[in-house]
Amino acid sequence: MPKKSTKYNETLAFDFSDNESEIQPALKEEIQKKPLSVTELNNLIKDLLERGFPYVIVTGEISNSKLHTQSGHLYFTLKDENSQIQCVMWNTRVVYLKFKPENGLKVIIEGRITVYKGRGTYQIDVLKMIPEGKGELQLAFEQLKEKLEKEGLFDESRKKPLPEFPCRVGVITSETGAAIEDFKNVSRKRYPLFTLVLFPALMQGEGSAESVCRAVALANKKKFNIDVIVITRGGGSVEDLWTFNEESVARAVFESKIPVLSAIGHEIDFTICDFTADKRAPTPSAAAEILLPDKSELLESIDNFNYNIKIYIKRRIENLKNELKNFEKNYFFNKPKDILNELKFKLDDFENNLSELIRERMYMLKNQLNTYDKILFNISPDQTLKRGFAYVTKNSGIISRSAELMKDDNVKIKFYDGEKKAVIK
Amino acid sequence: MTAKINKDSFEYNYKRLEEIMEKLESNIEEYSLDDIMKYYQEGLKLIKICRKKLEDAELKIEKINADENG
Repeated sequence: MPKKSTKYNETLAFDFSDNESEIQPALKEEIQKKPLSVTELNNLIKDLLERGFPYVIVTGEISNSKLHTQSGHLYFTLKDENSQIQCVMWNTRVVYLKFKPENGLKVIIEGRITVYKGRGTYQIDVLKMIPEGKGELQLAFEQLKEKLEKEGLFDESRKKPLPEFPCRVGVITSETGAAIEDFKNVSRKRYPLFTLVLFPALMQGEGSAESVCRAVALANKKKFNIDVIVITRGGGSVEDLWTFNEESVARAVFESKIPVLSAIGHEIDFTICDFTADKRAPTPSAAAEILLPDKSELLESIDNFNYNIKIYIKRRIENLKNELKNFEKNYFFNKPKDILNELKFKLDDFENNLSELIRERMYMLKNQLNTYDKILFNISPDQTLKRGFAYVTKNSGIISRSAELMKDDNVKIKFYDGEKKAVIK
Repeated sequence: MTAKINKDSFEYNYKRLEEIMEKLESNIEEYSLDDIMKYYQEGLKLIKICRKKLEDAELKIEKINADENG
């Protein structure tokens, strides 16, 4: 195999000087001797080309890109301003392509020339393809971002709000990573009033995308009663974080019925998962800060409530007293002054001892309840029966008129201390 | 969000407290003295509950394994 060229942007030219002396004269002689069959000619061409170009590096622009849906083979034309060549990439290699080979994309291809005898055509059998000018992952990121953006996966309008006071937070992360420790620490300081439900998942490498997708689906199950999902991991290389640029992860996040907060890597790392999530946090600690209310701030506002509630009521009483004074001055209200004085007194009392009033009221309510109880007791049938009355039932229905009873009817007479059976004469 | 309201939660108590404070702060004239007294009483109770919940809280942790629940 010839040495690989290190300069990608130069078309590689092979030196044929060695082969020329051997193959060319022999060919010439054979061709001139007698007519060749088409197969024979194509065989000769195939032999010549495939031996001549066992390894090429070519740069050009993709056009007519077509991914065969069933076989998974990729067919396209590579071209520059003046020329073009057919290319094929077999499915076994297509699966390793991170980016989408779109038309118009400038690429560098490594491969070999093969001849398809059936049609008398030649093509590049592509072994490897990378985008020209930028990294393969960068391009894949941009392509997927554009695609999902068009589909509306990043739309602000579909983003769900995070709960104000989370109760059960589903955290998808590595059980052993630093991210979960950071998240726990900030949670304890900030708002330890919730249940952290850990859904362990692989956060990088082989099988991690599937693992994260499974965890998102699992956290969505009703039985876990999760009200917000946090997907988080610490920093790492682009390759480490690649899981969160996979389409499957983005779709799983998009499908989640429960709001998702994504915190992948450091401040500078933006992933497709971040864009799809309902909210992004720059780090695992920041995720806890964004998600959770702050305990000390809550305590402070409770202290304010405690102070203000008394102020508001004092102020109201003050206002009412002033209103009363104004009434008092009014000629029409001079007569029932007693009533006003009474009210005034009531307000003063209320102001001076709010809790006393509350107690009074409770006492009043209690008294009222006692009275009701007594009344209910006195009007109950038991009390009436005790005084010597009785009542008659037929088939357990109370008889209130004599017309309801016929001769030979079986009845029961109910007394205070029991009942007797009787027959009507 | 979940349909059922957990009356024991910090959220429920705190929200109710905010609601009462809002009533007393901006619409106190609309309520009778009896109502104001009731709100005052409830407010103080909620302040106590919320403060206690915050001060006593301890983070609870559960773990769900995909293998057992997948």
